[in-house]
Amino acid sequence: MFKLNFKIALRNLWKNKGFSLINIGGLAIGLACCLMLMLYVNYEWSYDKQYKNLDNIYSAKLKLKINGELTTTDAVPYKLAGAMLQEVPGIKDAARISQNNIKLFSYNENKFKLTSIYVDKSFIKILSYNFIYGNAASALDEPGSIILTASTAKKLFGTQNPIGQRIKWDNLKALKVSAVIEDLPKNQSIQFEVLQPWSFFEQINPDIPNMSWGSIDCSTIFELKDNVSPDDINARIKKFLVTKKPEVKPYVYEPFLFPMSKIHLYNEFKNGVVVGGNIDQVKLFAFLGLCVLLIACINYMNLSTARSEKRAREVGVRKALGSARSALMGQFILESVLLSIFAMLIAFVLLEISLPYFNNLLDIKIQIDYHSYLFWSILIGLAVITGLLAGSYPAFYLSSFIPVKVLKGFKGSSGSLSIRCLLVVLQFSLSICMIISAIVVYRQIQYLKDKPLGFEQNNMVQLDLEGELGKPSKLELFKNQLLKDGAVVSASEFAQKFTNGGSITGDISWPGKPAGNNAIISCRAVGFNFTNTVGAKIIAGRDFSKNFPADTSSSVLLNETAVKLMNFKNPVGTIISWGDNQNLKIVGVIKDYFNEQLGKAVEPTVFYYNIKDCGVLMLRLNPDQSLNKSIETIKNIGQQINPAYPAQISFVAEGMAEKLRTEKLLSVLSNIFGGFAIFISCLGLLGLALYMAEQRSKEISIRKVLGANLSDILVLLNRDFMKLVMISNVIAIPVAYIIVTQWLQKYDYKTAITLWPFILAVLASVFIAVLTVSLQTFKVAKANAVDALKYE
Amino acid sequence: MIELKNIEKYYSSKGIKHYVLRHVTTSIKQGEFVSIMGPSGAGKSTLLNILGMLEEPTYGTYEFLGEDVTTLNERKRIELYRNHIGFVFQAYHLIDEMTVYENIEAPLLYKKVGSAERASRIADLLDRFNIVAKKDLFPNQLSGGQQQLVGIARALAAQPSIILADEPTGNLQSAQAEEIMQLFQKLNKEDGITIIQVTHAEKNATYGSRILHIADGVVKDDVSVKPIQAV
Repeated sequence: MFKLNFKIALRNLWKNKGFSLINIGGLAIGLACCLMLMLYVNYEWSYDKQYKNLDNIYSAKLKLKINGELTTTDAVPYKLAGAMLQEVPGIKDAARISQNNIKLFSYNENKFKLTSIYVDKSFIKILSYNFIYGNAASALDEPGSIILTASTAKKLFGTQNPIGQRIKWDNLKALKVSAVIEDLPKNQSIQFEVLQPWSFFEQINPDIPNMSWGSIDCSTIFELKDNVSPDDINARIKKFLVTKKPEVKPYVYEPFLFPMSKIHLYNEFKNGVVVGGNIDQVKLFAFLGLCVLLIACINYMNLSTARSEKRAREVGVRKALGSARSALMGQFILESVLLSIFAMLIAFVLLEISLPYFNNLLDIKIQIDYHSYLFWSILIGLAVITGLLAGSYPAFYLSSFIPVKVLKGFKGSSGSLSIRCLLVVLQFSLSICMIISAIVVYRQIQYLKDKPLGFEQNNMVQLDLEGELGKPSKLELFKNQLLKDGAVVSASEFAQKFTNGGSITGDISWPGKPAGNNAIISCRAVGFNFTNTVGAKIIAGRDFSKNFPADTSSSVLLNETAVKLMNFKNPVGTIISWGDNQNLKIVGVIKDYFNEQLGKAVEPTVFYYNIKDCGVLMLRLNPDQSLNKSIETIKNIGQQINPAYPAQISFVAEGMAEKLRTEKLLSVLSNIFGGFAIFISCLGLLGLALYMAEQRSKEISIRKVLGANLSDILVLLNRDFMKLVMISNVIAIPVAYIIVTQWLQKYDYKTAITLWPFILAVLASVFIAVLTVSLQTFKVAKANAVDALKYE
Repeated sequence: MIELKNIEKYYSSKGIKHYVLRHVTTSIKQGEFVSIMGPSGAGKSTLLNILGMLEEPTYGTYEFLGEDVTTLNERKRIELYRNHIGFVFQAYHLIDEMTVYENIEAPLLYKKVGSAERASRIADLLDRFNIVAKKDLFPNQLSGGQQQLVGIARALAAQPSIILADEPTGNLQSAQAEEIMQLFQKLNKEDGITIIQVTHAEKNATYGSRILHIADGVVKDDVSVKPIQAV
């Protein structure tokens, strides 16, 4: 019986090639989306799961009150790790982790800028890395020892054994490779190319052991003893820092442990409580994928039941021959499972093709593990479940036919039609929601892109001040040379990469500062000519200048937001103090510019002149010269003055574009999924049109005989579908409105929600629906009237 | 074998009853070949459907093989279909996706007949109806007469005790129709299968042993005939 059913199912698929193609295509897309989603969710889920004793590993976080808002940061005082290890029972081990440092590492002629972190010795004990060469126990004992990842080792040394080789660090110190570890999986939170011991960090920064309890500089991980509850520890350490340094009390300074297993997915905190993070993206993605799969399943149901007449007779005959209803249901389910397995095969191919693109888009690295039984069983399981899901309704519906009715020539019941209409409305509502969201995301991106930045991002490059360029005299020479050669028109130092964040301070006081105001203000070191170089505007006073010797020691610039914060009527000339520095005169006000976070309000900022604190050189390229020529000149001059460091020039505009990555991603995803959803929904509509046209073929024929022309009939048939599409719009528009308003809430600067995305969605859905339906109804309307009437 | 007592069938609409069958009381014995005749709309097909348990009478009792089947649950009815009743339809109603062989096999599969037994029975039927060469063809590759032959072979496959045929020759040319009727007669004579057919044609009725004339839902006449001899 099974074999026969199987054979018949295959014949059925083959006989209705067009129908099968639509169905398999729709399901394949749905399945491919769903698979992609599962791979992605699995990838995000397995973040940091590679560590063996992950359950006992915690990352320290710090609640901090900044400008009246309780924020949470990873940065804690240098001293926290050691003190907690000693004073808090239940902690097995602790390791400090510095910020990422990008330095030049050279071995003979192989010079690379590598990302390194400084860590305590216990770091490699707490986190289980796989050592290829070297000894895990002693690899970080010597200050001069370094651990490389496998691909870094290969880059530097090729195929030779790197152990014991000497590498030059920052063109200054020789280091010895003590171990090589396997490359880190991309889904790990702590990423580096080079590991260096904390002792080395302290060698180059002798101040570290003396840093106060109030400074927060490094992240720290803790390993707890077995069966120690983190809640107990958290209760115990709540007042840890405040006890050590009572002055920080107004800033709250409350450390707590957060499970390492969660730091990737739950990385957004509000008021000291976790509120989400990457998990939101995972959820969104899961939702989108499931929607597409659901739409595809609905489609299958729709198309299958649409063909019910064709199958009804078969059902009647089989029942009269003695088939039980369950056997019939089995047969229909078998057909849909078979179909979904075909769809799965195609989905699998689609998946393999699109995976690299997808990886690139999300900047992740998902691979299909062909050796995993789990993967294959999920693949097959998903196909079967989809088949069951998609086949259940048709099976139920088709097997319910009463033989005598269908044998007499039956035309489906209207009851099932309303269910089908409901399904199509559901599909279309989802699709319309996606169209509207996609348009709004696009508009917001355009808005952020077009919003004046307050500085001139084009034609501006930055390069790190390192090696010889760290010396003021050489730097001056470099700048002058660049100006003389016409490569740049203006140059200025800046604290760090222009598009990154930077230091903050709570130490600034100004006349009229209310008591208990713990305002946190950003501070940026700059060189002369800063505003000119970046293209920012001075709205009061003047920029720092060589002509005013005091500028190098006791002048500051504020931005507009800072002036507003300090509530100055005439800021220029006002004296403010910053820590020990009591006598700082405001010489100018810079118009707010947006370089750090697009769409967010600008932080209050103080600019001060100090070349030593500056890490990069900003260059305004000569607009009269070709870009390539300018870059070439900068590289050549850099090569002469700073031969050890190949000049790495980065464009500010690129950095700014990078800031819209999440938005772009969302835009691409909503476009892709929205497109698929629309496509599949159209297939569903096509199915419904097919069904209705078949249902009404007699009516149409009679109308034609009575003298209706083609357009009359097209209008007649399209009208019902338009009703469905309009209902979908009515449902989708408020839902979409709520979704996009929610989404836009996170932006301080956002595009206004206008009417036209909604109008566009309505028009698009109507247009697509008319097109789809007409494809089918045209055929019916053109058909010879006699054919339909003959068989009555 | 079949006892009908006071069978009535009507449809109500807006309080008015539209009778299709009224006071039908008759009995049909094993081995009879009954033709139901009458004008269009007389209720012939409804009567046959009631006999085939495809429809339920509104009123009256129907005993099949001594068992009251007026209201029967689906499982029992399916049992009867599998073991006792074979249907032959005017429009053949073969399953388009199945070959001739598979169409004949279908009822045996439902009856859960073993595969060796199945093969021999089908081979026998194909042989008997001279359609061995057509066994791998699909219904749409056959002529109407051939399709009806397959339909009858399928009805016979489960070795039913009764065949219910609704205008079995209605769509056929007269030569083919004659062939089918002769086949029915032969089955009735040689295998002792009870046959009840609905027919329009006087000529077809003469192959049977008894004719029920129905008009406006009432049995007007119940006559025995001396069947013409098969050639």
